Amino acid sequence: MPPVIDPDKCVRCGRCVDACPEDVYFGSRKKHVPQVTYPQECAYCNGCVEECPVEGTITLRIPLPMMLLYKST
Amino acid sequence: METEHLKCDVLCVGGGIGGLMGAIRASELGAKVIVAEKGNVMHSGKGGGGCDHFLCYIPEVHGTDMETYVQEMMQTQQLHNFDTLGMKRVRTHIAKTFDIVKLWDSWGIPTRQNGKYHFAGHAFPGGLRCLLKYEGRRQKPILTEQARKRKVQIVNRIMVFDVIAKDAVAGAIGIDARTGKIFTFEAGAVILGTGAVVRLYPAVTPGWLNNNATRPSLTGDGRLMAYRAGAELQDVEMRMLHVGPKYFARFGQATWVGVFRDPQDRAIGPFVTRPEGLYGDITPEVNKALFRDHWTSGRGPVYMDGRGISDKDYRDMMHWFPHEGLTPVVEHMKEEGIDYRKNPVEFMTYDHGCQGRIVTNEKGETSLKGLYAIGEELAPGVSNASVFGWLCGEHAVNYLKHSNRPDASGMKEQVAEKASLVDKMLNRKDGADWREVNIALQQIMQDYAGLLRTEALLQAGSAHLARLKRKAYEIIKAGNQHEVMRALEVLNLIEMGDLVFMGALGRKETRGNHVRLDYPLTNPRMNGKVHIQKKVNGKPVSEWRTITG
Repeated sequence: MPPVIDPDKCVRCGRCVDACPEDVYFGSRKKHVPQVTYPQECAYCNGCVEECPVEGTITLRIPLPMMLLYKST
Repeated sequence: METEHLKCDVLCVGGGIGGLMGAIRASELGAKVIVAEKGNVMHSGKGGGGCDHFLCYIPEVHGTDMETYVQEMMQTQQLHNFDTLGMKRVRTHIAKTFDIVKLWDSWGIPTRQNGKYHFAGHAFPGGLRCLLKYEGRRQKPILTEQARKRKVQIVNRIMVFDVIAKDAVAGAIGIDARTGKIFTFEAGAVILGTGAVVRLYPAVTPGWLNNNATRPSLTGDGRLMAYRAGAELQDVEMRMLHVGPKYFARFGQATWVGVFRDPQDRAIGPFVTRPEGLYGDITPEVNKALFRDHWTSGRGPVYMDGRGISDKDYRDMMHWFPHEGLTPVVEHMKEEGIDYRKNPVEFMTYDHGCQGRIVTNEKGETSLKGLYAIGEELAPGVSNASVFGWLCGEHAVNYLKHSNRPDASGMKEQVAEKASLVDKMLNRKDGADWREVNIALQQIMQDYAGLLRTEALLQAGSAHLARLKRKAYEIIKAGNQHEVMRALEVLNLIEMGDLVFMGALGRKETRGNHVRLDYPLTNPRMNGKVHIQKKVNGKPVSEWRTITG
């Protein structure tokens, strides 16, 4: 479940930890790759992705129950 | 328990659009202002992911008679948002919108396209278009910056749980959701802007608490602390529906450009027959239960069908999606290979359960002196939140000029009571965590105060909820401070559930989405009336009041 952090790209700045309105990164340590303590509380708001200074470091994996339904044509 | 005491003139509880606008304005007028926010103001609240449309009346665009604009607006979903607010308030709101839009533009939230104001969506073909398109993706960080520029003190991760008041408001008490430190705020005026009530009814995915169109941490905290302090609430039993993509619960229905069609490709509404960027398909705004009705009557599912969309409309739609907070949807569609120009996307009716508001006068003041309410505590929408946030900031400062220093002597007792509750939660080895309690609450609300209501169901559900409440206080546990915050949210939601049952029992009629099978008529004698709930001498009291203004 979201978010997923690429540890190789993460600069450990903690901006995502600060910005998350739901505090899914609760308990993360400063200057470490953030830990996603409460992934099931993610609101998929994209706030952490927005604030991350290195594009592509954080991605939101949309959980299977949230897959869009669509019509094949 | 460690405590920190902060003093200010105006305390804004909740740093959403309304809270920040109130803080900015009060600070400009010389007040010392604190914003206490449960999350982080940068992305918190319903507008935290962005927004792309703003109710805005511009005489040069809509004509010099504002009334024409107001009448058109009240034919859209805004009718459900504003109809019990009183038209005087609605007109105050609309008259101020262009000023706020110009202000936002000057702060760096773009409100013009190629130098021009562009109106689209949520509109009937041929009618006035009331919603201004704007690029609100970064609106919260920008408003945060503006607040900081004006020396507003922002304290993030503080969940305010109670207002301090005797005859007038004197402050509030909160808890740090990371450290557990108790914060006491001494304030001459308090502006509540904690948002909607989510997580009272089940989300789109069964058992999954966070798949909501809006933020799951909006748990009616402001309404409950207002109620406990003696302020009045209204119409909490009324139910709010919305529509959006099936399973991926999101707002932003009107940012999609297409036609709502059934499986046989027939348009389900009378308004558009092909994708039309200027208007969208306004059908569900007339009746948001329509998609659910199609489903239950065997005519579903309903699709948002973008086939035939022009290249320009498609480009524009994809431009607006991120501003409306729909970037995760766009990314998901890319990943799954969904091409909206070829693949109609299924939509559904969402049931948000609880509407209602805190009763306020034309100044935004509640029935408790010095306590104000804005944003979704009043009505939905960024336009409403920003305008009334701004005006409330002014009124709160004006109130301070004519009021005595409040009596905050009750603070210690309230702190001790809550600290003891928190302590018990943290020290319980066995018990129920917040999720378990929340799910138990949701199933009662859904089954006994949901889609269909009767006296017998409401009485049975209310009695069961009372048992759950007792049990929850006995066994709810928290593993850390974050879980303490969630547990306090759930206890607020249980109290809101109680009020919904009381309100639904008292409303002996069917109105909108409040369907009483035992009272199927919409009673015309109740038109223009609101259902008030308040606490008098510790006991819940309800009454009916005629809407004025």
